[in-house]
Amino acid sequence: MTTRRSFLAGAGLLAAAGTVNRTALAALPEPVIQTSAATAAPLTPPNGRPYDPVVTLNGWTAPWRMRNGVKEFHLVAEPVEREIAPGMVARLWGYNGQSPGPTIEVVEGDRVRIFVTNHLPEHTTIHWHGQRLPNGMDGVGGLNQPQIPPGKTFVYEFIARRPGTFMYHPHADEMVQMAMGMMGFWVTHPREAHPHIARVDRDFCFLLNAYDIEPGSYVPKINTMLDFNLWTWNSRAFPGIDTLNVRKGDRVRVRIGNLTMTNHPIHIHGHEFEVTGTDGGPTRPESRWPEVTTDVAVGQMRQIEFIADEEGDWAMHCHKSHHTMNAMGHDVPTMIGVDHRGLVEDIQKLVPDYMLMGERGMADMGEMEMPLPDNTLPMMTGQGPFGAVEMGGMFTVLKVRRDQKPGDYRDPGWFKHPKGTVAYEWAGAGLPEPARSDAAGSSSMPRTGGRQSVEMTVRKPTGHQGH
Amino acid sequence: MRASLPISLLAATVLTGCASVAIDENFAEVERFARDEAGSEVRWLRSDAEREAMRAEVDRLLAQPLAIDDAVRIALGYSPAFQSLLAEAAVVSADATGSARIGNPVFTFERLFRSGAEGRELDIGRSLGISLFDLLFLPARLEQAEFRQQQTRLQSSIALLSTVTEVRQAWVDAVAARQVARYREEVATAAGTAAELARRMQATGNFSRLQRAREQALAAEETANLIRARQNATAAREALIQRLGLTPSQAQALRLPDQLPALPEAPMDEATTGAALLENRLDVRIARTDLDRTAKSLGLTRVTSVVNGLHVAGVRNSETGESTQRGFEIELPLPLFDFGDAVRAGSEARYLSAFNRTLELANNASSQVRVAYEGYRSAYDLARHYRNEVVPLRQNITEESVLQYNGMLIGVFELLAAARSQSASVVQAIEAERDFWRAEAALKASLLGQPIVPLTLQSGASPAEAGGGH
Ligand SMILES: [Cu+2]
Repeated sequence: MTTRRSFLAGAGLLAAAGTVNRTALAALPEPVIQTSAATAAPLTPPNGRPYDPVVTLNGWTAPWRMRNGVKEFHLVAEPVEREIAPGMVARLWGYNGQSPGPTIEVVEGDRVRIFVTNHLPEHTTIHWHGQRLPNGMDGVGGLNQPQIPPGKTFVYEFIARRPGTFMYHPHADEMVQMAMGMMGFWVTHPREAHPHIARVDRDFCFLLNAYDIEPGSYVPKINTMLDFNLWTWNSRAFPGIDTLNVRKGDRVRVRIGNLTMTNHPIHIHGHEFEVTGTDGGPTRPESRWPEVTTDVAVGQMRQIEFIADEEGDWAMHCHKSHHTMNAMGHDVPTMIGVDHRGLVEDIQKLVPDYMLMGERGMADMGEMEMPLPDNTLPMMTGQGPFGAVEMGGMFTVLKVRRDQKPGDYRDPGWFKHPKGTVAYEWAGAGLPEPARSDAAGSSSMPRTGGRQSVEMTVRKPTGHQGH
Repeated sequence: MRASLPISLLAATVLTGCASVAIDENFAEVERFARDEAGSEVRWLRSDAEREAMRAEVDRLLAQPLAIDDAVRIALGYSPAFQSLLAEAAVVSADATGSARIGNPVFTFERLFRSGAEGRELDIGRSLGISLFDLLFLPARLEQAEFRQQQTRLQSSIALLSTVTEVRQAWVDAVAARQVARYREEVATAAGTAAELARRMQATGNFSRLQRAREQALAAEETANLIRARQNATAAREALIQRLGLTPSQAQALRLPDQLPALPEAPMDEATTGAALLENRLDVRIARTDLDRTAKSLGLTRVTSVVNGLHVAGVRNSETGESTQRGFEIELPLPLFDFGDAVRAGSEARYLSAFNRTLELANNASSQVRVAYEGYRSAYDLARHYRNEVVPLRQNITEESVLQYNGMLIGVFELLAAARSQSASVVQAIEAERDFWRAEAALKASLLGQPIVPLTLQSGASPAEAGGGH
């Protein structure tokens, strides 16, 4: 739920930013604290220039106040607890109660004033990734401004000159602060019809982020560079990520920013899309080509658009398959095909709760429900209408429905397939074995002398022993 | 004199006592000590019937796993080694009794002929003599003998104490070594399972030869540890069997409990074990007795150094034709060459030496009790620490490792390594408990006055860390 003390009357108000003193509060817009990781409905602008709002996946848009024609936002950098998915909470740093912080939505030409209060134990700054602004507002600590000490509030003020997709993040001790989850989305809507910017029916945005949280612990290991175990969108991992629910025929825009330390090929099933913008701005229509996967490199933003004209539940995910697994050990030996006969009992004598896994592959993980360390997520999880989805991390579903009402972002449930449109088991006669060639593919430099083949006992997978 | 001499001889015999009475008294004292201080009973097997009965009783005790107190009973009532100690004590006691007796009276008989003008003359001289010294100093000698008896009793008690301590420690060693061997087997099994899995994984191409070799090397080392542990268990068992003096068939029948007794809830506190009991220590009592005796003998030496050769005899001379001559004869060496000063100086030096030895012993005894208590207390703390901290933590690591394994966060090799470490920590805990029970036996012995080599705690090498097979 969003708490909007000064902006909207509402139940469930939270004490905001406890240490900001009363006199300061009179001059500052009260920060809005978000306590829920659910996707908030789009925030239709109550004042200022009108625009078509975005929906932040598992996030929300920061309310603002207009003061003498200036849009004032208040971001509070602070330690937060973020539910990564049901069953796992991370102790991160974020803004206004969550990581990522609220999406800031403004309109091209708006004068924007952002108060940034630092409630972290160390200094911080905010860099406004992709914005045209005065050099002193760019937020690189030491270079453009002094860092914001703990307990202090700084003000950033500039005009949102260029429409497009942006993000914000610290530029002070940034390795630590970004590994801890400090980031947020920024959308500048065009002031008027723009030849390269289409009007869309649904506009989603999320940031790619990654954490290394030891299973059973809560705080990310900030020194990890590549071996992360939680690959998230807006600090949420499947099955904690909300689905993208659209009406058939909608023009859909998805804005994606990458603040991890590796690239992510984002892939959508059932539709082709075009990259209509980057953090550099809208792409020229003649530069666009159809794709089903777009690689979002580190520090980049991609804005993709498509017509959702195929009904169904379509997977949308990062195509690096490890990024759709959730927490897993990267040093675990492969057990496929290893005969465990006679050993399972031995191991159980020593470790009574031992269960054999991995002998056939890792799909066991999706099927078995076994106790895990506290505060971690199982790999390969999520139950679909046909069984285990066997996913985790950067994976969600694009749900296209003809009866989804315009402006309705609620989950319509599982797709009801028209008769005869689901893959089925072959029930006819046995098929003849296809002819195979063993002559093809000789190597360019055949080996002379030495062993020709490696001695190996290959065991065909059989039943599962031991459980 | 004719009448009075046999009377004093008779008196001496009564006063020095019958040897078997003294032996029985001494044994009764040892029995009392065993009962009161060692909480066990002593049997002295002096006939075949007694031996048979005890043998049957031992067989009965061996029908179930042998408890520590039963081991002590067997050692004190059955083991040939201790029976031999009892017999030796009886020998010493008999000697002591003998030493208090007066030298046998000397009868001399002279028969002299003289052939002369008056014809043949027969001269017969008879004398019955006794060492006057023996007689005069009989009370002192009786006292000396009593000292020796007392020493014998104390020495027997020390021997008993030493036997009890050794048996208790041997029992603890044997039970612990067996328990350790069992856990070493678990460790070896864990390593062996990992090695077998690694072998199969190499066979299917999931592991390299290097990975497999690492697991196998680990298993091979654990097998070596297991062989050592088994050997220790056998040796410790045999050491106990030797202390109990079991026959081969009894040795075969001997079974031991599966584990050491549980640690006491609280350790003995230092105040009750401390200086108050020092007076009771056997070694201190022996030294005291020794000092007393030396002091007495010093006084004695002052007198006897001069008169040591005093000899008195009744004389009766018969000569042909003459009336019989009667009288006394006294022999006294003249202190012309030996004035006895050397003996006196030696005696005085012996007294000084005994005096200082007693002082030293008392000081050392108090230190030994402190060392024994410290050893006991550290062993208790360590054993508790292993039981309450180390083992539960290792167990916890295994449990958490299972959860991690469930989530495929770690592999089975790390899981087995955790199990191995857990078993190794149990081995350390058993060793710590063993040290505690050894230290307890040593402390008890130390309180009663048997110096025992102080306990050294083992430098528990940390169990093999989770190596994992990657
Ligand atoms: Cu990815």
